[in-house]
Amino acid sequence: MSVRYWEEITHGEQFTTGTISVSASDIIDFASQFDPQPYHLDPVVGEQSIFGGHCASGWQICALMMRLFVDSMSNEGIASIGSSEVSSLRWLKPVLADDVLSGTIVVESLQPDSPHTGYGSLNCVIDVFNQSNVKVITLHTDMMVQKRPTEPIDPESAGPQTVGPQTVRVR
Amino acid sequence: MTAPEHFFRTRWFEDIPVGEFHVFGNHTFAEKEIIEFGQAYAPYPMHTDRVAARHSVHDGLVASGWHVCAVWMRLMVTYMERYATGVRDGRRNGAGIGFRDMKWLQPVRPGHNLTYTYEIVEKPDKVIQNKWGIIRSRNEAYNQYGELVFTFQIDILAERRPTD
Repeated sequence: MSVRYWEEITHGEQFTTGTISVSASDIIDFASQFDPQPYHLDPVVGEQSIFGGHCASGWQICALMMRLFVDSMSNEGIASIGSSEVSSLRWLKPVLADDVLSGTIVVESLQPDSPHTGYGSLNCVIDVFNQSNVKVITLHTDMMVQKRPTEPIDPESAGPQTVGPQTVRVR
Repeated sequence: MTAPEHFFRTRWFEDIPVGEFHVFGNHTFAEKEIIEFGQAYAPYPMHTDRVAARHSVHDGLVASGWHVCAVWMRLMVTYMERYATGVRDGRRNGAGIGFRDMKWLQPVRPGHNLTYTYEIVEKPDKVIQNKWGIIRSRNEAYNQYGELVFTFQIDILAERRPTD
């Protein structure tokens, strides 16, 4: 597969992710480790809660969104390294046991720089939907992707030059 | 299993003051848990492979930002559980509805210890479903060098005092 660099991604471009399913045991496993509240740990308590079912931790939804994003970029041949910032995120609807999630990533704008040298930013809106096409989370985030490497130095044509006592390599 | 009483809040929305500040927990990130989280949710070499991570932008293995979030939640739940012990009047913790201005400012490497804090910064004048108010807090995590590593503001529902 060909590699796509930051320079080749366009304003308004949209990516559709794959899908990922969330089982009751996935919800309980994540909650046991990170969010041990009764409506995540116990399906019966979940049914009686304000969420109306055995629901995943909101942070598990975020983590699953990330997995969808990482796999999607990988499939597109885009070398992403994730985000250093999420300007906003809303949990809109609960994710319940046996839901199947998928996402859309829309590039709203592009910035040529990022906190990391050699990477540009995509200002993205990411939405995650359940199997009924109900949006469960929406977020705005800057995702960093690799820029086209600058031309490598040819060691033959750019040989060492002597300047005073130091040897420097001409770029 | 029924909802344990220790999850009930000690206070109504009206009783929670802006400016209140808590240091609510700390956590040391082990290499194993960094890799497990990375493999499950953010399979970049910088989160999953100690050797390959040396060639990443962080020059070594680092925790996924969402792992740093998940640990925030774990410490918050543990703290709230302790904080609300013995309260039996049925007031409940509400759900988070969203966050803003989340920034991961420094890498979290194996063995790093993060201390998490929150401060109540605002109580927006909004009633949701005739029952809930919004508590907005600024959350931060510092590493063992005292560097600010992680920050965000989250909106969490808190039950308003009944009017009758």
